[in-house]
Amino acid sequence: MSWSHEVRDVARGWRWGHRPLPPSDAASSTEPARRWEFPTDWARTETGRLARDALLSGVMGPIVFTQTSPEVMGLETLDSLRPPVMFISNHSSHLDATLILTTLPPKWRNRTATAAAKDYFFDVWWRSAFTALVYGGFPIERGGGEKATAKAKELTREGWNLIVFPEGTRSPDGWMQRFRHGSAKLALDMAMPVVPIAIVGASVAMPKGRNWPAPGRPPIRVRYGEALLPREGESHQELSLRMQQAIAELFDEDRSSWWEARRRSAAGSTPRMHGPAGPRWLRTWEGSRPVRRSGRPPTWK
Amino acid sequence: MTRPGFVLEVDERTPPLFVHSGERFKLQRFPMGTRVIYPPDPLPPIRDVRGAIRHALANPIDSEPLEALLRPDMKLTIGVDDISLPLPPMQSPDIRQLVIEEVVELAAGKGVEDLKIIIANSLHRRMNSDEIKHAVGERVHRSFFPKDLTNHDAEDRDNLSYLGQTDEREDVEINKRVAESDLVVYVNINLVAMDGGDKSVPVGFASYRSVKPHHNVDTMMHSKSYMDPRPGRSAIHESCARMGDVIRNAGVKIFQIETTLTNDVFPDPFGFMNKREWEWSVKDQATYLAAKKANEMSPDQIRHQVFLRMKSPYNLSGVNAGETRAVHESTLGRLHRQQLVEVDGQTDVMVIGLPYLGPYNVNSIMNPILVHCLGLGYMFNMYRNKPVVRPGGVMIMHHPVPWQFHQVHHPSYVDFFEEVLSETTDPSTIESKYEERYATDPWYINLYRKSYAYHGVHPFYMWYWGAHALDYLGDVIVVGGNRRSCERLGYRSATTFSDALEMAQDTVGRSPSITYFHYPPHTIADVR
Repeated sequence: MSWSHEVRDVARGWRWGHRPLPPSDAASSTEPARRWEFPTDWARTETGRLARDALLSGVMGPIVFTQTSPEVMGLETLDSLRPPVMFISNHSSHLDATLILTTLPPKWRNRTATAAAKDYFFDVWWRSAFTALVYGGFPIERGGGEKATAKAKELTREGWNLIVFPEGTRSPDGWMQRFRHGSAKLALDMAMPVVPIAIVGASVAMPKGRNWPAPGRPPIRVRYGEALLPREGESHQELSLRMQQAIAELFDEDRSSWWEARRRSAAGSTPRMHGPAGPRWLRTWEGSRPVRRSGRPPTWK
Repeated sequence: MTRPGFVLEVDERTPPLFVHSGERFKLQRFPMGTRVIYPPDPLPPIRDVRGAIRHALANPIDSEPLEALLRPDMKLTIGVDDISLPLPPMQSPDIRQLVIEEVVELAAGKGVEDLKIIIANSLHRRMNSDEIKHAVGERVHRSFFPKDLTNHDAEDRDNLSYLGQTDEREDVEINKRVAESDLVVYVNINLVAMDGGDKSVPVGFASYRSVKPHHNVDTMMHSKSYMDPRPGRSAIHESCARMGDVIRNAGVKIFQIETTLTNDVFPDPFGFMNKREWEWSVKDQATYLAAKKANEMSPDQIRHQVFLRMKSPYNLSGVNAGETRAVHESTLGRLHRQQLVEVDGQTDVMVIGLPYLGPYNVNSIMNPILVHCLGLGYMFNMYRNKPVVRPGGVMIMHHPVPWQFHQVHHPSYVDFFEEVLSETTDPSTIESKYEERYATDPWYINLYRKSYAYHGVHPFYMWYWGAHALDYLGDVIVVGGNRRSCERLGYRSATTFSDALEMAQDTVGRSPSITYFHYPPHTIADVR
């Protein structure tokens, strides 16, 4: 075998540029390799911020807005807030962070960092660099704990807003998963307002498994809700439930109207966002229903 | 806790696997579903090695402490395993050095004057001064070599002592100094389950007359396997045990010291060879590529020298001393913790990569007969209960099998290869027709005694080691093997692994089960 073949074989075998994957049989007995911690502070310097702004405005924004049809609602809720705040959202697509960052007003976006799962977004150098630069990303361990939130706390103290997806990972079927309590605990510890965001339609536009939006400019709606303020003596479990409820209400509002959603909320009958009980196919089926387009349907179609 | 051994089933995520092929190595992709047997990770090493040795000598199993056995007017002999252990040779200090130093220290403290150290090389070649110095250390070497630190001479009639016969009429004849000593302290390295126990003194200090009863085709055919010394499994071990009884009954008192080593076989920068491939770091991958390139570009002599100079960073995993059998029980338990892997069922095709080194080519050349011994003698037999491969299955080995011999170390091998194997490969025919002549040839005996040659009969034993496998297997295919050498050995040669698998289909059908025995590090498959 020639030298170049040999190098190619090693590159393919050890998935150069991709996340290392042990053989299935060995997964349980293989310790995750101790990895080099990718530095991300450079991405939040003034130069990094300018580069990010250029990328979001010049590349990511145009891609999202030409390949999908996003609508943004509720941004006015930010007017009454002062940074730092925590933006939380349901998570069903790689589009989510891009949608939030490209729809946030520049003065908010410029001071916003995204918590990204260390094992996925910081597994190889090029993905780490992309995440840090484009999303102002910083690595966070999925397992939780003090160590996992140390960087987030440090950024909050420096006045950075955070984008956090409390589900911890993208939903496989579009339905919201159980919230992990780390985000609520962080909000309580740092006494920071939590802005709920409902992203409707991203799971249909670019579900798990796709790397590019589906054709046909699928509709997406990004609804910003009223900020939740941690209450005196509130436990992180309680705040976490309120966060889930706030996003569920935004979904309800999207399906019906603000008025109806408020009434259902007051009556405690807001539809849950965890999807129908039943077999997996049913959840996927219901979760993949096309999202209705706003406004009048096109005349010539 | 040490990670246990493991059987991997190759899937689409499995990287190509590391395969030895003599002084070369490569990455080989295996078909989906291939099972790969990996040994347990190295056991935790003993940090205070000297402390552990002292403790073992002071708290022996079924024996008085060594110090209590020593007295000034006694005849004390220290027996030491020879150059065939460990493999590859150990980085300094060799564990034998540390043990001998502790024993000598005790002997000096008790005023022992008549102390001799003898290398238990049996019918193996003599160790030279440098090799002995590496094994026993400079201080011991300077104090005892050459007068009181010698190689055993199995053909020195004046210095052999006949002790009688076993119940099975096996002659027991061993080194006279050993037989006449008040105490024999045997310093062993138990690399695999075949070593140690009653194989130490009865074989290590034996003459040809005393080796012949167990190193023969019949015994080898009834040793299933050599790595399973439990009663009823290994005729060779049973024969050694009977001889051990004769020696003990003759009044020879043996204080056995057995050591076991961890599975840290390859030193840096070749440490990647110890690891499971998917755990290779970027550095390991780069080192592999660099080492592969350097290996391919090197002239044969340079490559050979690089491998010869490789010394293993073995650590001590345990040391026991005392009565031979009790000590060996304990040794085997620890050895199995380090090497045993449970394997579920047999396979149609067993694949192995033969490394550059076996017990009989340390500082030498691995000739085709030693390839046979390593592959069909040792690797095939690295099992308990049942062989890894099914009866009539195929063994695929990776090795170049060069037609090369070390003229000093292996003179009788050359003649065996040219004269005997060109006529027959049947072990029984070879034994009955040729063995006696080679074993008693004065020139071979002279080279064994005065030069550094293996005994004239040694190539026969190498062939017998593979007798069980030859009888059991349906076919033996060597990937990358020299065609003429392979033909002489009765094997088939294939250019690539794919070709070998295709050739194997003639014997085992179109969709055989395949098992790759990932070796070294040392592994014993416990086949259920």
